[in-house]
Amino acid sequence: MASEIKPIWQRVLNNIGDRFMGWSFEVGGVSLLVWEIMRNTFPPKLDGEETWRNMYKVGVKSFPIVVVTALLVGAIMVIQSGMYIEQYGAYGLLGWGAGYSVFREVGPIMIGLMFSGRVGANNTAELGTMKVTDQIDALRALAIDPVRYLVMPRVFTMIVMMFLLVVVGDFVSLLGGAATSQYLLGVDMTLFAWSVITYVSLADFLHGLYKAVAFGFAIAVISCHFGLNTSGGAVGVGRSVNASVVGSAIAIFILDYLITYLDT
Amino acid sequence: MAAAPERMPLHHRMLASVGEPVIHVADTVKGIMRTFALTLHYTLRGRKRWDAIFEQLHEIGNRSVIFIAFTLGFLGMILIYQAGYQAMKITGDLQLLGGLFLQLLLRVFAPTITAMMLATRVGSGMAAQIGSMVVTEQVDALRMCAAQPVDYLVVPRFLASIVMSVVLTIFAVLVSYLAGAMVANTAFGVNFYTFFDMSFVGWFDVNICLTKALVFGATIPVIACQAGLIVTGGSEGVGQATTTAVVNCSLAVVILDFVISGLGYVVLNLL
Amino acid sequence: MIEVHNVTKLHFGRPVLKDITLSIPEGSNLGLIGPGGAGKSLLLKIICGLVVPDEGTVTIDGQDVFELDEIEIAKLRFRIGMLFQNYALFDFMNVADNIAFPLRQEGKLGEDEIAAKVQEQLDSVDLPTIGHQFPNELSGGMKKRVSFARAVVPEPPIVFYDDPTAGLDPVTSSKIFLLLKAMRDEKGVTSVTISHDIEGIKDICDNFALLDRGELIFWGSRDEVESTDLSLVRQFWDGFSDDELG
Repeated sequence: MASEIKPIWQRVLNNIGDRFMGWSFEVGGVSLLVWEIMRNTFPPKLDGEETWRNMYKVGVKSFPIVVVTALLVGAIMVIQSGMYIEQYGAYGLLGWGAGYSVFREVGPIMIGLMFSGRVGANNTAELGTMKVTDQIDALRALAIDPVRYLVMPRVFTMIVMMFLLVVVGDFVSLLGGAATSQYLLGVDMTLFAWSVITYVSLADFLHGLYKAVAFGFAIAVISCHFGLNTSGGAVGVGRSVNASVVGSAIAIFILDYLITYLDT
Repeated sequence: MAAAPERMPLHHRMLASVGEPVIHVADTVKGIMRTFALTLHYTLRGRKRWDAIFEQLHEIGNRSVIFIAFTLGFLGMILIYQAGYQAMKITGDLQLLGGLFLQLLLRVFAPTITAMMLATRVGSGMAAQIGSMVVTEQVDALRMCAAQPVDYLVVPRFLASIVMSVVLTIFAVLVSYLAGAMVANTAFGVNFYTFFDMSFVGWFDVNICLTKALVFGATIPVIACQAGLIVTGGSEGVGQATTTAVVNCSLAVVILDFVISGLGYVVLNLL
Repeated sequence: MIEVHNVTKLHFGRPVLKDITLSIPEGSNLGLIGPGGAGKSLLLKIICGLVVPDEGTVTIDGQDVFELDEIEIAKLRFRIGMLFQNYALFDFMNVADNIAFPLRQEGKLGEDEIAAKVQEQLDSVDLPTIGHQFPNELSGGMKKRVSFARAVVPEPPIVFYDDPTAGLDPVTSSKIFLLLKAMRDEKGVTSVTISHDIEGIKDICDNFALLDRGELIFWGSRDEVESTDLSLVRQFWDGFSDDELG
């Protein structure tokens, strides 16, 4: 911005400082939003109709891509495990290899990233458009709290839907895996199923579901934060959506690590 | 949009509800294919604008480094944690952890997750930028100055993305591997010498990793720019395009990953 | 000579332009007026081949715009200057590069000549010192003038102005209209101007067309406008509404 020429070290420091301030602003904003959400959760204040509409929209929108993703992820994991299984001839472990990795890690991460791209990004775009067209201010002028009216239903919806989608996704990915093992690897489906049932435990399944809930919450909060802090017209909306998906991806990996660390 | 759907008889509505998504997907794929063909055409024929390519290399590469390091670093830690824990429980033998981890990283995780991250950061960025250019009539202005939008906007991004996808994937392997080594060392006491075991990794693994990186790198900008170029309407349209870009890019990555993995498996069996 | 023949454009099956036929002889200046959403900008974009109509043809100097191949349309577009409604300045280039862009694309001039022409244009729009600035640092009026400079820098014989004074204060508006007038009187361009500023374009244009909801309601010379009894034309021309509100 300033056109006078500064020494290089000063510019580097400036740059680092700017970045740091930017990140601090976002982290602070997200924390404040979480605090607002907590305040609205005890006692719960939820606009039933808005929630229901959101659930329908989110579910319908993300179901097909989650199913496609899960099918392929299951298939890919079976192919990868297959490469080792073939080497050692341990066909009975195929279902375990695929099931374990999908349930615990790959499933929630991939579905989370897809969910963030589909629902989170869409949410940011929607709230961002409302913000730049002054609709949020209009709500405030009507004494309606945007957090309560807009954010709460979305947070609730995204947690519930992420949970349900991971449950569905887990089973669909097993179907994809079973089909791949039968037709590409030539390992009988029943053997695959037996392997899943015998070796994959309920704990593995639950581990993925904890992650689903955490990701759902994180995606909701982050996408709402960036949406509500949009400025600068169409360009600003694009920038917000970009920032929102990047933030969500970072949150997904950090939370995944924390949950893996705590729950093993 | 469609005229009064409730007036149609039931079987029409059922057909419509199946047909509409099918047509939508077919249209999207057709649009992407056309943009891809045009991109190739101009890549081979048009003059290279090196300054624009370098700008995009910077935009795609340098500005994604921290993001990729962060996410892939965590991924390495997560995977080693899970794998190490299982190995401890079942065999108690962690000798193979590092070698197998590197192989898996090359075959699936590094190219796929890097591409997912590029789809997220770069794909959405491109769609947002080009979409904004469409709604502010900049793309029309380009055309009025006889600059083809695909030639002018997509080609530099396409070339830069291919290069940077390969570079970032290699970077991602390193970061993940090092982060994994840290966790293996601190949590399971595997020493670094045992962990850095290259004996499993062959040319097959390196090739499949680079092939995937190349293909993903070529796919993401085309899909993202296509989403941006077809924007209509104001800020709503731009938001929509950005969302579409992330979803379509991610889906394309997963689908292509499946295809390449399947082909790789077949090739491996033939070898 | 620009001829528009039976142009119809559909949007989701609904016509947004219905059977428009117009001609703009060389050296004449057409003023395109009408309420918002009537399809004026769309018509302009169809004329320069940016949007393909569902029916009808557009010919410019005998060439059918939609039959041309890539190289021919490029040549044609170097002869058309367009001032866009939303400025359409490239936000990734500074002002000087923006103005130089059409010249560089044309590839006829060397960098020195281009720099000289850019400076000449900046002087003529009375913004001689902003070449190094970026579009987002400029005010609306400055952006309009830069956009104007970019449209006319290759000295095109045909210029389209899409609402050149939208959202500008009266002083800046009158400056813009002075620029348009200079284009007409000094360069003898053929032009189409969309504007809601009737008083402004009365000075610029010699022919007027009125579009309403995609239909060409009226098309004629200045004298014909002043003598017509069509109520919508009268309302626009005299700037009042005799209908009840509602």
